[in-house]
Amino acid sequence: MAAIRRIAGGFAVPLGSVVFAFLVGGLIVAVTGGNPFAAYQGLLCGGLGIACSTTTGENPALQISTTIVFFTPLLMTGVAVALPFRAGLFNIGAEGQLLAGSVACTIIGIKFSSLPAPILLPMVLIGGTLAGAIWAGVPGVLKATIGAHEVVTTIMLNYIAQWLVRFLIVGGPLQAANGFSASTPIGAGARLPLFLPNDPGLVIFGLPAGVYRVHTGLLIGLVALVVFAVVLWRTSLGYEIRAVGQSQRAARYGGINVARTIIITMLIAGAFSGLAGAIQIAGVDHNLTDKYFNDTTGFDAIAVALLGLGSAVGILFASILFGALHAGGSVMQADAGISSSLVQILQALILFSIAANFLRVLRFPTLGLRRPAKAPPRATTP
Amino acid sequence: MNFLSDIGHVLLTADLWRATLEAAALLLLPALGGVISERSGVVNIAMEGMMLTGAFFAVVADLAWHNPWLAALVGIAAGGSMALIHAVVSIRFRADQIVSGIAINIFAAGLTLFLVQRIFGLQDVGHVGQSELLPYINVPVLDQIPFFGRVLFQQNVVVYAAIVLLVVVQLMLFRTRLGLRIRSVGEHPQAADTAGINVYAIRYGAVITSGLLSGLAGAFLAIGISNTFVPNMTDGRGYIALAAVIFGKWTPIGAFVACLIFGFGQAIYDANSVIHVSQYLLSMLPYILTLVVLAGVVGRSIPPAADGVPYAPENE
Repeated sequence: MAAIRRIAGGFAVPLGSVVFAFLVGGLIVAVTGGNPFAAYQGLLCGGLGIACSTTTGENPALQISTTIVFFTPLLMTGVAVALPFRAGLFNIGAEGQLLAGSVACTIIGIKFSSLPAPILLPMVLIGGTLAGAIWAGVPGVLKATIGAHEVVTTIMLNYIAQWLVRFLIVGGPLQAANGFSASTPIGAGARLPLFLPNDPGLVIFGLPAGVYRVHTGLLIGLVALVVFAVVLWRTSLGYEIRAVGQSQRAARYGGINVARTIIITMLIAGAFSGLAGAIQIAGVDHNLTDKYFNDTTGFDAIAVALLGLGSAVGILFASILFGALHAGGSVMQADAGISSSLVQILQALILFSIAANFLRVLRFPTLGLRRPAKAPPRATTP
Repeated sequence: MNFLSDIGHVLLTADLWRATLEAAALLLLPALGGVISERSGVVNIAMEGMMLTGAFFAVVADLAWHNPWLAALVGIAAGGSMALIHAVVSIRFRADQIVSGIAINIFAAGLTLFLVQRIFGLQDVGHVGQSELLPYINVPVLDQIPFFGRVLFQQNVVVYAAIVLLVVVQLMLFRTRLGLRIRSVGEHPQAADTAGINVYAIRYGAVITSGLLSGLAGAFLAIGISNTFVPNMTDGRGYIALAAVIFGKWTPIGAFVACLIFGFGQAIYDANSVIHVSQYLLSMLPYILTLVVLAGVVGRSIPPAADGVPYAPENE
């Protein structure tokens, strides 16, 4: 019974936050003259392929495939935020680390484009991973050695990465000759295989198999989640990370090298983000484009990690939610005429709700959300 | 050699320094807000979102009423409203102030884009007429001084306001009772509470002030420097202001010096036809400089002691 209550209580806060966000979001749609039910039907159809209206002709299977493509990088960037959380560090820099990984993957994939896949694919993925680790290592070292706040340093590095991408592909060394703000494509050997063959003869759920862009990066993302859980709960490093997060002073007395743990935590976090960035290039885009100027995967990751309460299972569910929201946003805009920026609003509302824990403060009689029993009243002295 | 003489030529033009001051003033307003908020102990990384909201609503109001002063007030109020959300969430609900700040920035970007598409259909919100912009004012007599007249006295009305506010905030923080209270709340709220200072009131006031100042900056950007709203038009300026707060070691004067440096970077790439450095590489400069400062190369930058810590009285 207690176990059930604990599990239900664990789900109550994230679920309540999502419900809160959708209620307020629906209100915003209604106040501005839109139909919230049509909006959410569009989101549901575009994100999860259910409740699709028969007139708009959305293909549920294609929508689910799109959602999977969107949530794959969130699995890894979610870990990149959640792991430092456990050490008491707030990594806002997942975006910059992801971009560093994308840049490294692109450069290696172009420079060595003639190499065969068994050599080149590991090279681009490892290259991206290392670039992300370096991008996160700088804040890690600054935090561990002189105490510079990682929130500020990672924000700065996000912008440095964003401008670096712009520099590289707008008139910079990576720009393709055709004048568009994009790099030349990476070599064929640097690309992650799709699950379905690009065969025009093969028709699945009414569409040629080539349109389903689910790629093998999904497997890497799921493995990353398992690695995260194992490192955190089954290794001495994970113990040290959690100890540092609980109390740096206690960890230090316990013989843990706090500075070293902080640096390693950030390096691992950056590695996950960098891997996500490499996978986006190798699995989805195959070149660095101006799309990456406005990429928000690393910021979504903050919501994913918080909503997932920093656990591997939670990150999985939260990633699916945000992947579905992003995939659903465009369908909502096309079919219901509601701007896809509603997704950002929902995301912000979820963040507010989780951070403020409105539910706790409002004292809803929700299962598992009761306030701890008050201390017994002091004995009155006569 | 040609390159050096070209640089020398650009550095001697009054227009470059005029543009530097203008860009610095745009950053200074949110930076002053950041200084006040963080001095009171509330971390504020939401200047970006508050500026963006201010810019949007200033344009909408100006298009509706054709009055830049009223529009600027609306922009200021819009920034303040965003700050009020940040204040309620992080003071009343004691939320993580960084998460709340991120949420504000995402919320502002989403809400303004959403409203643009709801109200104006496409992304084009229309342009404000020349006569309905916040005006550039030449100060009589002084604007005739060679070089300096052009640099200092042919500026937008908001630039003058920003300089006045700089002096006011600097004096307020370090020479008045209110400033002492703000700083004590940011350093040791328990002690301040014991001394009879209302910690919550001070923090609410400080955070909302940061929103008002950021909203003014947004209005300046949209209906002073520019004449329309473009989604995400602040383009990281709120974060550069945050960098200026830290670079300037949480003092108004220090933040202003940082804004001048960052504004110079902005101005120099507007003069990019002469200096052949990628404007994108120049855009990294504020962030790299701030990292260098944080790395302790140019002295340490230490935040107020209670910055980012929600205050809960012990009897609760």
